[in-house]
Amino acid sequence: MEKDVKRTESSTIIRNIFVYLVSVLLALGIMAIVVLLFGFNVSKVLRTLLTSSFRTSFGFQETIKKTIPLIFTTFAFTLPFRIKFFNIGGWGQMLFGATIVTVVGLTILKSGITLPAYIMIPLLIIVGILAGGFFGLIAGSLTAKYNINPIISTIMLNFVGVQFLNFIATNPYFKDPLEGHPITLPLPKSATLGFFGGIPNSIIFAVISIFFVYILIKKTRLGYEINAIGYNLDAAKTYGINFPRIIILTFFIAGALGGLAGTFEVMNIHKKLVEGFASTSGAQYGTFGILTSLIVAGDPIGVPVAAFFMSVLLVGADALQRTMQVPVELVFLSQALIVLFIVIIRQRFERRV
Amino acid sequence: MEDENLVELRNIRKAFGEVVALDNVTFSVKKREIHGLLGENGSGKTTLMNILYGLYSPDKGEIYFEGKRVKIPSPFDSIKLGIGMVHQVSTLVPEFTATENIILGTEGDKYTLPINREREKIKEMSKNLGVKFPLNVKVKELSAGIKQKIEIIRALYRGAKLLILDEPTTSLVESEFQELLKSLKALVNGGVTIIFITHKIKEALQACDRVTVLRRGRVQGIEKREDTNKEKLVKLMFMEKEIRVTESAIPKVELPPCKKSKEPVLILKNVSVEGGEKSVGLNNVSFEVYGGEIFGVASVSGNGEKELAEITINPSKIKNGDILISAKSVKNYETLDVFSNGVFYTPEDRIKEGILPEGSIKENILLGHHAKKRFLRNNIFINWEEARKTALDVIKNYNVITPTEELAIRRLSGGNIQKVIIGRAFISPINLLVTHNPTSGLDISTVEFIFKKLVETRNSGSAVLWINEDLDELIIISDRIAVLHKGELKGIFEREEFDKYKIGLLMIGG
Amino acid sequence: MSFINSFISQTIVYTVVYTLASLGIVVSGRAGIFNVASEGIMLASASSGFLTAYLTGNALFGFLAGSLMGAVFGLIIAFVHEKFKVNQFILGISLVILGTGLSDLLYKLIIGIKLTAPRAPATPLVKIPLISKIPVFSAFLTQDVIVYFMYAASILLWWFYYRTKLGLETRAIGESPKAADVVGVNVTKRRYLSTIIGSALIGIAGAYLPILITGTYTPDISAGRGFMAIGIAIFASWRPERAILGGFLFAAIEVIAFRLQVISQRIPYQFLLMLPFILVLVVMIIFNKQIEFPASVGKPYSRE
Repeated sequence: MEKDVKRTESSTIIRNIFVYLVSVLLALGIMAIVVLLFGFNVSKVLRTLLTSSFRTSFGFQETIKKTIPLIFTTFAFTLPFRIKFFNIGGWGQMLFGATIVTVVGLTILKSGITLPAYIMIPLLIIVGILAGGFFGLIAGSLTAKYNINPIISTIMLNFVGVQFLNFIATNPYFKDPLEGHPITLPLPKSATLGFFGGIPNSIIFAVISIFFVYILIKKTRLGYEINAIGYNLDAAKTYGINFPRIIILTFFIAGALGGLAGTFEVMNIHKKLVEGFASTSGAQYGTFGILTSLIVAGDPIGVPVAAFFMSVLLVGADALQRTMQVPVELVFLSQALIVLFIVIIRQRFERRV
Repeated sequence: MEDENLVELRNIRKAFGEVVALDNVTFSVKKREIHGLLGENGSGKTTLMNILYGLYSPDKGEIYFEGKRVKIPSPFDSIKLGIGMVHQVSTLVPEFTATENIILGTEGDKYTLPINREREKIKEMSKNLGVKFPLNVKVKELSAGIKQKIEIIRALYRGAKLLILDEPTTSLVESEFQELLKSLKALVNGGVTIIFITHKIKEALQACDRVTVLRRGRVQGIEKREDTNKEKLVKLMFMEKEIRVTESAIPKVELPPCKKSKEPVLILKNVSVEGGEKSVGLNNVSFEVYGGEIFGVASVSGNGEKELAEITINPSKIKNGDILISAKSVKNYETLDVFSNGVFYTPEDRIKEGILPEGSIKENILLGHHAKKRFLRNNIFINWEEARKTALDVIKNYNVITPTEELAIRRLSGGNIQKVIIGRAFISPINLLVTHNPTSGLDISTVEFIFKKLVETRNSGSAVLWINEDLDELIIISDRIAVLHKGELKGIFEREEFDKYKIGLLMIGG
Repeated sequence: MSFINSFISQTIVYTVVYTLASLGIVVSGRAGIFNVASEGIMLASASSGFLTAYLTGNALFGFLAGSLMGAVFGLIIAFVHEKFKVNQFILGISLVILGTGLSDLLYKLIIGIKLTAPRAPATPLVKIPLISKIPVFSAFLTQDVIVYFMYAASILLWWFYYRTKLGLETRAIGESPKAADVVGVNVTKRRYLSTIIGSALIGIAGAYLPILITGTYTPDISAGRGFMAIGIAIFASWRPERAILGGFLFAAIEVIAFRLQVISQRIPYQFLLMLPFILVLVVMIIFNKQIEFPASVGKPYSRE
């Protein structure tokens, strides 16, 4: 009988691959049809879409640059998803984290204190964690105390985050007088991270986050309680698991991860706060974090792979619009369709068991 | 000769995945008889009737109603034919009143809502049938017994010729059962045919003209009341199984004499708890449970038994009073703290509250013990190796049939799931086991296993607080039985004083 | 007096968007389907509605197209949920993303990039002769057809759910689908109908934005109103007659915030713009105990 279980495990992997393959093919197929209808060269479109990340080192670097924040925002959705809550606030958490980090960084700069990098960088990372965590905490507390659906609270906070960022980026104390667009003054050099071979150094932290989430979920007591709630809330509560406490903790950590997405974008990529930084050609990292998470159904190991795949498509979308005038939205639509198909097909398999 | 069968199901087969629930079942009911469908839990009775009512469709077989072949794809069709069903668990809309529930889905102009006129009609009908219930109260605030009456009226309101009752006595005590019998006989006189699903032989013998016995999805025999007796029915129901049963088809397990502990393990002092939507809570309840005894608590569902189970393991919800475990007050303790004082719990609804269905058996064993030092490293990390070893122990000692401890627990049978839940209670030594309806919905072998385990626990000196809806079961192996009614403790009976009728009367406030 | 008149007039216009959208959510919610895709539906309908109105020169065709787009989304939600039992929230969020992408895509593909934004044709106004003289009332009633539609829909839906058997049956589905199934109500069919009709209402709300309010389509024209409509449906306790009150409240806040922005220089305008969103949360906290949900909203139903 042990063989039965082993067989089920390997058939699960094959099943997953099947699900992904079919969904991608279906969605790209639909996209190809639309593209054809509007008179574009289908094979050129598909080639540009799928290989732009790999043809030049620039393409590859851009892909990694997108993957890093996407990993963080995907985890921001994944963690509460495991307790059956939907954190749509990755966007707001990212913005708020970035904004507060910028505020702290620029305040230190303007006060005349110079701090070395080995103090500034950890300090600002912690600030980003706390800021994003705070945003997550608000949503988590509202859920724990008043049973308010986190979908609503996180979405509302998203809009608050947008306005707050705009406020800081246009505020005379912080803003860069030379820029027309809302952008702040640059952060002090000691607060920034560099690149290695064209790859942002923040990738180290992205990798750390993968290990962190994996260990949290699989090996810790908190992870066990999170999983138990996800399996069956009633049973978890009956046997002593403190649901409100877990909600708050989970949303804090999720928010912190979202905040880190924004933190590293500010510290590594832009080195200042730029309005609209949380989107990449119209694709929001927060929203795409949700899509990516749904692809892997909350499994922490699959997240970096899925995030990379999504980034490949995003780079391809950019290239398509730039070189062939194909609207980026067409790719975004296909990505949403991929996720929809994956979710549907996966559900069909579940029902069979 | 006119066909005297009102309904006939022929060669019915129904499988759910690999599990065959019904295998070539032929079942017929004569007009104006009360026909019993008798079988233990899991024998297929409810499945068969759900097919007749249109909630399931058979894989093979035909249905005949009043001599004509019919297809019943949904309840809409069965209702049209004149079939009504009262399910074991209430299917009323909790937020609606009795009137709204009864007229829900009836024919007639869909663009009006003549509530007043309908209410009068319902009042009329209930009066004629000798049934009374409040018409304008939200159903969620009513007791299980009253809800059942409403459901019967709901079926009759649509002109049901055939009334199917699924385990109607689940929430009734002896005296109420007798009342129900009278009503059923009156209905039959009025022209209604009745199918009475039950797993209790005594009820089948009292209520039914004929009885069809099902076992493992197959018809074992059809008996006439005057030609049969308890022994014959037991044989048909259980066949090869070497289990001694009472006339209610409950295993007879011996309760040897046992010395009770000097000091009580559990003391409740004037405990009061807020009720919820469905129940009254507890009002000034006091009693003691000693080591070496099985203390049974009998109540009709919704009289505070759920709250009693809950506050014993989660005392932080008490409004007034005190709870002591081994002479220590646990009034403000949370569940995990209570557990670490030698207490464990098996909940009433095993799927809903007892297990993590998609979780592995290993993960399920850990539930409730996940804060214990034994399973933690540095208070942060889970010691999965210890969890694995413990799971394997439980699987071995409780004969749980599974290929591995990693299997998702929902893939086990109901009986095996309950074994895991019980086994989980004993992985650390306990002084007090709190168990609520541990045998509901289980087959006879598992029920016997559970009884034996309860007795074994008691014999080893631990205390057992056994909250159970089925009085027949309590009588077999309890040392004492307490009655809970409307949240109050109405009396405690010693084993010598056990009287089913007397206790049943107390349970409904007599 | 004219200030009040103009304030109400302006508010009523935004009330339409909030009210129709939340009515749409209420309608599908009463049958058990929690439609969180409203923002995406609004955007897709805004785009398709505007384009249709612009290309045909007829505003009413635009509204028709918007409602059709909404209905299609509703059909997808009902189908994917009933057939494949996909979680309603996952489905809804995916459709928000889909709707957002679709809305911009349609506009780009059909209009492309133009220097001056294309304008939508005018929507017919309805002026009731005598009432136009009464000061405050006239502001409520001297409006376009869709406003009257909003009034009519609110009343009609209340009557449907609370004064008809059909409505009772539909509500039963949202409370307890098993109870409805057992008495012969066709749960699946009702869910399809409710979701399609509800989403069509959201579609009209979406089309109203470019056709009537701003006069042209811009990306993200809904600006979160679809999400706020969910909040309104919740603290209306899913009652159609209350949705319009919540809609008016939020529209008023939006108009006030806009006017304050113009008047006052002291309060940073960003905080005024945050106001509606924070208000949703505040109202949900305050009215937490009074809010009721249909007991089974969001949960799938199957017989086995």
